Amino acid sequence: MQSVIPTLALTLTLAGAACGEARVKADGGPPPTRTERPAHCDELGPSDALQTALDAPQTAAVCLRPGRYAGPLQLRRAVTLWGPSAAVVHAERAGSTIELSAPGATLLGITIDGRGGRFDQADAAVHVTASETRVEGVTVIHAVFGILVDQAAHVQITRNHIHGGRDAGVGLRGDTIRLWETRDSSVSDNVTEDGRDIAVWYSSGNRISGNRVLRGRYGFHLMYSHDNHIIGNQLLDGVVGVFVMYSRGVTIEDNLIANAAGAAGMAIGLKESGNLVVRGNRLLHDTTGIYIDASPLNLGDTVLVTHNQLRLNDRALVFHSSGHRVRVTDNDFADNMTQIEIDGGGDALDMAWRGNYFDDYAGYDLDDDQVGDVPYEARSLSSELTSSHPGLALFSGTPALALVDAAAHLDPMYVPKPLLSDPAPRMSPVWSTDTEARP
Amino acid sequence: MYQPVRGSRFLVALGVVGWVVGAACSGSKSSPQGGGGISSSLTDLMKARNLSEADVNAALKTYTPTGRMDEYLVFASGGHSGQVIVIGVPSMRILKYIAVFTPEPWQGYGFDDATKSVLAEGKRFGKDLTWADTHHPALSETGGDYDGQYLFIGDKANARIAVIDLKDFETKQIVTTELIGGDHGAAFVTPNTDYIIETTQYPVPLGGVYADPAKEFKEKFRGAGVFWKFDRAKGRIDKDNSFVVEFPPYTQDLSDAGKLVSDGYAFFNSINTEMAWGGDQEGNPPMEAGYSKNDMDYLHVVNWRKAEELIKAGKFETINGMKVIRLATAATEKVLTFVPEPKSPHGADVTPDGEDIVVGGKLDTHTTVYNFKKIKDQIDAGKFETKDPYGVPVLSFKDSIRGQVDVGLGPLHTQFDDKGNAYTSLFLETVVAKWNYKDLKLIEKIPTHYNIGHLVAAEGDTIHPDGKYLIAMNKWALDRFNKVGPLLPQNFQLIDINTPKMQLLYDMPIPLGEPHYAQMIKADKLKPLDVYPPGEDPITGKKSPEAVEANKERIERKGDGVHVYMTAIRSHFTPDIIRVKQGETVHLHIDNLEQAYDATHGFAIDSYNINISIEPGEHNDITFVADRAGVFPLYCTEFCSALHLEMAGYLLVEPKS
Repeated sequence: MQSVIPTLALTLTLAGAACGEARVKADGGPPPTRTERPAHCDELGPSDALQTALDAPQTAAVCLRPGRYAGPLQLRRAVTLWGPSAAVVHAERAGSTIELSAPGATLLGITIDGRGGRFDQADAAVHVTASETRVEGVTVIHAVFGILVDQAAHVQITRNHIHGGRDAGVGLRGDTIRLWETRDSSVSDNVTEDGRDIAVWYSSGNRISGNRVLRGRYGFHLMYSHDNHIIGNQLLDGVVGVFVMYSRGVTIEDNLIANAAGAAGMAIGLKESGNLVVRGNRLLHDTTGIYIDASPLNLGDTVLVTHNQLRLNDRALVFHSSGHRVRVTDNDFADNMTQIEIDGGGDALDMAWRGNYFDDYAGYDLDDDQVGDVPYEARSLSSELTSSHPGLALFSGTPALALVDAAAHLDPMYVPKPLLSDPAPRMSPVWSTDTEARP
Repeated sequence: MYQPVRGSRFLVALGVVGWVVGAACSGSKSSPQGGGGISSSLTDLMKARNLSEADVNAALKTYTPTGRMDEYLVFASGGHSGQVIVIGVPSMRILKYIAVFTPEPWQGYGFDDATKSVLAEGKRFGKDLTWADTHHPALSETGGDYDGQYLFIGDKANARIAVIDLKDFETKQIVTTELIGGDHGAAFVTPNTDYIIETTQYPVPLGGVYADPAKEFKEKFRGAGVFWKFDRAKGRIDKDNSFVVEFPPYTQDLSDAGKLVSDGYAFFNSINTEMAWGGDQEGNPPMEAGYSKNDMDYLHVVNWRKAEELIKAGKFETINGMKVIRLATAATEKVLTFVPEPKSPHGADVTPDGEDIVVGGKLDTHTTVYNFKKIKDQIDAGKFETKDPYGVPVLSFKDSIRGQVDVGLGPLHTQFDDKGNAYTSLFLETVVAKWNYKDLKLIEKIPTHYNIGHLVAAEGDTIHPDGKYLIAMNKWALDRFNKVGPLLPQNFQLIDINTPKMQLLYDMPIPLGEPHYAQMIKADKLKPLDVYPPGEDPITGKKSPEAVEANKERIERKGDGVHVYMTAIRSHFTPDIIRVKQGETVHLHIDNLEQAYDATHGFAIDSYNINISIEPGEHNDITFVADRAGVFPLYCTEFCSALHLEMAGYLLVEPKS
């Protein structure tokens, strides 16, 4: 299977790998391609009565000439509003700038300047409150909130570019995109920069793909949102990549999540959720790669973690306690400070491990079948030592730790606690770092 | 990451392991063995019980040998049990369940006349309530520090506050107002315990009347901040001098009183500026979705000293017997001011210096640190950004905060130590985050199990936190304890914070109700009685007029029935036979004549649902109608002596004809 992660301006610097200095760099990438102008539309300029035209029953589409237009505007019937990026609608006053409140309403291409909106009132550049609507190719600058979708279905949010702002701390910015009680919709190929979250709450059956999320807080935050697919996105320099809580049936596939740094930094977090697939993601240079807390929760549910590349993370895979009904197969664990951490005195023995690549595997492959002849076994007392004796934390993840563990190994009293066993570890990575592609 | 490494013995000479264990086990006098100073018996024990050196270290920090006392006492809410749990720290030994809102047989609470009258104070709308959902205990304070005299606790379910006297750890008073329906931000005290704060959670029409939320939610539903006046000399809440500040129906949540520079103010967060009220079958979003749609809610800032002045000036209305400062008055008189706070906020904790207020956000990654001076300066200058729909002035969020701290996912509640550090529970990450509230920098985190709610540090919400122990009060236990069926206990996890790195010491199951908040007080601040003075009625705190002295036991018939003046002393009730006629009202007056510590007697009568505890020196009254004829054994229910079984008698109820 080939990764669907699109090529982007991305540099992976490996100097100082495993010492926390490597970093994935990315810019905002090229602007979205121009949005096609409707074949037939009424062309209007800044001095025309725009809202009147949009409300007129005979108007199918309005095309804006370049210029500045005052909001707010309402698309309250099946009408298309198109403009080039040089047609700028500005917020003018508090409240959302453009609202799509009727099925068939379509917003294309224009730029919205969100200045003037109020953060505490969740003023949005675009507020969608109707099903069968589309927002495509829109640029939002100075977004307080970007595109909010409320209680709708079959909505398309596509190829928009939403700029928040760095004036306020990330906690004081608005969501770039929010789906609220929204189902069977798509959020695809958007770029968001310097916003807060892309929130998906009480929203099921959605496809979120090909988006590029830069310098946000939660890349995607799912709450009570089931059967969603999060595929082929790039989430860079945020706090959390994808956080799934109280949700079932979510697939997180082929995403690149890098530089989720800071104390809360986490590429993927799974809390009390189940029937999840985490497949083919590249999780690079994050404080925590994957964090699993009481997932799966329901009896009979599962979690599959497969074909992911976890590199250069402080902690690649963290379980809040012993994991159950989790399969971890064919992943790469390389250049991480800590490969696996299991808190709460737990272990990962009641989980299916197979075919993973661990760069600290010290076994051998005499039959040359590319599978290690002895299991990869992780045992450690380092967490116990370091919990009471912080000085030993310095040994964590370095060869010196082996000395501590070896000392423990020599004295039966300190037999290190088994954490996990992969009976068939790979001798070489699943992913090729040169091609950024996985088999 | 460990891979089996075959090394030579010299590695042990690194001394790492020996140092670790030696540190954990200093004081061992046994001869050193291969474990670097561990006695063979200890080594064997560790191996047999599969204990690591960290486990031993934790055990040494918590194990309290027989006869030794704990350094701190924790008063934890008992949740659904309607009680308060008293726990010793660091041993985590349960010392007492204090009966508060719920009848409790061991203490005879709700069985004798006096405690029945206390429970009856808690009736609402004429209905007896036999349960409560105790949430937040508050120790009385003097100058912002615990003084060890009283404890107050709120009942979320039924909007009640109880007063517990720490002289004998018994509930003395329950107050309620039918103005509101339920509370949450209760109880919190002002720095000298002038007032006990009780705040509503779910808004209702004030005064227990009906209104349809579909039609009149915004118009008629309201929240309220109740300021119960405490009369310390009497040890009771003074309802007549208490007052209420009316709030909009924003679902107020938690509270804290200002201290030092912010003394005179109180802070309340809220979670529902959306004014959602449910109705998922009536075309509305479910309650939880409706509550969390807006991006900001309002921190309520109440100037309660100003409110006191308004009450004195008569600027209130009396509703259901309570003096209420109406919302419009509160807004125009600057008693009530709002500051925006991030969505789904939780916790509103004033820092020990009183300068800042820390607010968490259940779905945020930051705690927000508000600065009192910034808030007050705006209020004083009349610099308001806007007003809410009820006319309450709203300050600028950005101009009110000192900053935000990237602590992690889902910050809730915050406690403090003596070194300028704050400890915040993070629900989503289920960790405790330690951060410095001066420079707003995160220091470290420690995992907890599972779903931490409140946390409590030693004197951690006073102006002088001790910086020693911290307990994570976890909502779920999952795999921490032996299985006991589908209903699991809560999990209190004791953490040592007086070390460079936080260390988990002990897991304690709490299997009776779901505790919410707790407070931890230095044990030597408490000066409880050993025995009551002879004849004392614990509820009045005075010698009962019906007190019975030795050799004055008797049975008298009076106009209101049969009065039995009885004494209990090891190992005899005098009289031990009570003869009455069927249908007579019986008034039992029983005194425990013991003046010896721990010489408690019980008194129970078969089939009459009579069971009381009579502590040394205590006087009790029980009134009942002997409506069933027959012979009914009575006996002492406390194993008081070798002749305990013999401490018995009979109630003889002679048939009517």
